[in-house]
Amino acid sequence: MNAVVLIDTLLLLLVTVTAVAIIEVRSLYASAILTGIYSLLMALVWVNMHSMDVSFTEAAVGGGISTILLIGTLVHVGRDEKPIKKRLHVPALVFTALTGAALIYGTLDMPRFGDPAAPIHHYRVPEMMAQTVGFVNGTPGKQKPPEGFDVERYRRFDGRITGPIPDDPKDTAWRENSALRLEGLMVPQVHAAHEPHAEPGHHLHPPDDFNGHVPNSVTSLLAAYRGYDTMFETTVIFTAGVSLILLLRRPRREGYLQSGAVMSDQVILRVVSKLSIPFILIFGFYVITHGELGPGGGFQGGVVLATAFILYALIFGRAALYRVVPPPVSDILTGVGVLIYSGTGAVCMLLGGKFLDYSMLNRELPGDGESLGMTLVEYGVGITVSMVMLTIFNQLAEERST
Amino acid sequence: MPWNEVVCTVLLALGCVITFSGSYGVLRFPDFYARLHAAGKTDSLAQVLILLGLVFVTPDVLTQIKLLMVAFILLIVAPTATFAITKAAHLDGLRPWTRGGRQ
Repeated sequence: MNAVVLIDTLLLLLVTVTAVAIIEVRSLYASAILTGIYSLLMALVWVNMHSMDVSFTEAAVGGGISTILLIGTLVHVGRDEKPIKKRLHVPALVFTALTGAALIYGTLDMPRFGDPAAPIHHYRVPEMMAQTVGFVNGTPGKQKPPEGFDVERYRRFDGRITGPIPDDPKDTAWRENSALRLEGLMVPQVHAAHEPHAEPGHHLHPPDDFNGHVPNSVTSLLAAYRGYDTMFETTVIFTAGVSLILLLRRPRREGYLQSGAVMSDQVILRVVSKLSIPFILIFGFYVITHGELGPGGGFQGGVVLATAFILYALIFGRAALYRVVPPPVSDILTGVGVLIYSGTGAVCMLLGGKFLDYSMLNRELPGDGESLGMTLVEYGVGITVSMVMLTIFNQLAEERST
Repeated sequence: MPWNEVVCTVLLALGCVITFSGSYGVLRFPDFYARLHAAGKTDSLAQVLILLGLVFVTPDVLTQIKLLMVAFILLIVAPTATFAITKAAHLDGLRPWTRGGRQ
């Protein structure tokens, strides 16, 4: 048993224990904190699987802001669960068992964990990485394709692998004779130059050719290949924010901002929060802007930005927060984010491409266009997410004080 | 073994010892404040030691700076969080434990 499997087993064991504890524990406060712990443990599991983007999201959304919002909700609903008679509810048990069985049945079709023959490694992703990260676009000023590499054929390649794929994931010899090699789709020089990762078919791009492109394949997938999905995810968050405003917002009464403890008389909290809020904001913008280069993106960055505002409201009171971000401003910005996203898509259409075809934004350097488009889109997502989170917090707090 | 790995090992071991004693304290100490004291040591001191240890074996300068920044920010923020929790408990009327139950 290697170390990764061992750590994974321990972490998943802890996750299971935490999940059981969340169900069993009576105090809802403890339950909310345990939910945060659950998310942080899952984030560690994702790190172990090398999926940094997912891990980051889990830590920021699950461990961070959800816990704050859950505790905010508890202020309204009380801190203890109502005692219920423990009785076996047979239809619920049957339904849960069936759902679980269906989910397990669904996973049977999935490729094994870390399987190099999995479709994700062969269909679209290598092509996309080569498109966004390299010479394949023939971008002026960038590295030329190596000798013998047929760019046109590579771009036409639809990802099909000829011949059978062996069951053993360690058996990579088949790729030597597969379509990738036979049709000149792999780059021999790259293998030689980049020896540690010289596994055929995996490094279709030179390791240092990241300038002005989108090397993070997760962002490339989310913002370009699945751009519609992400746009509608943003719309779902927007809808959640709007429905919350419609459901919870009441007409303002006199003194609606006064109640609730303000902690600004605590010198330590005041000084440290004032010190850290600028850094939280910078980090949030960094995560959004840097989304196409590393882990992170609009969702994570937006949540980080929202926590800065929530921290400010917690320490200095919501009256101070409303002076910084008045509710009309946050309401409008909620919509502006979605507008930026769909507007970027529309601009791509007006420039003659398809909806969300970012390469249209810069005809000279399509790679830079992709980069620019994804940054714009990430900012749209970030603005919407942060403002919706802020609205949720405001509504929960406002409900408490009236 | 190169000197930087030696330094790293020593710092990591120290961090682990403090983390262990912190966890042990959380389980064994008699009341909320004492337990939080133990937990706070893990948050502030142990993580600084572990991150400092990692700085010595990281080849990349940018990553080293990032690790140092994380350590520095946690060094400021973690004790503040401990303070906020303690203050909230104190304002809520939780009295510290004393031997013999005197106030």
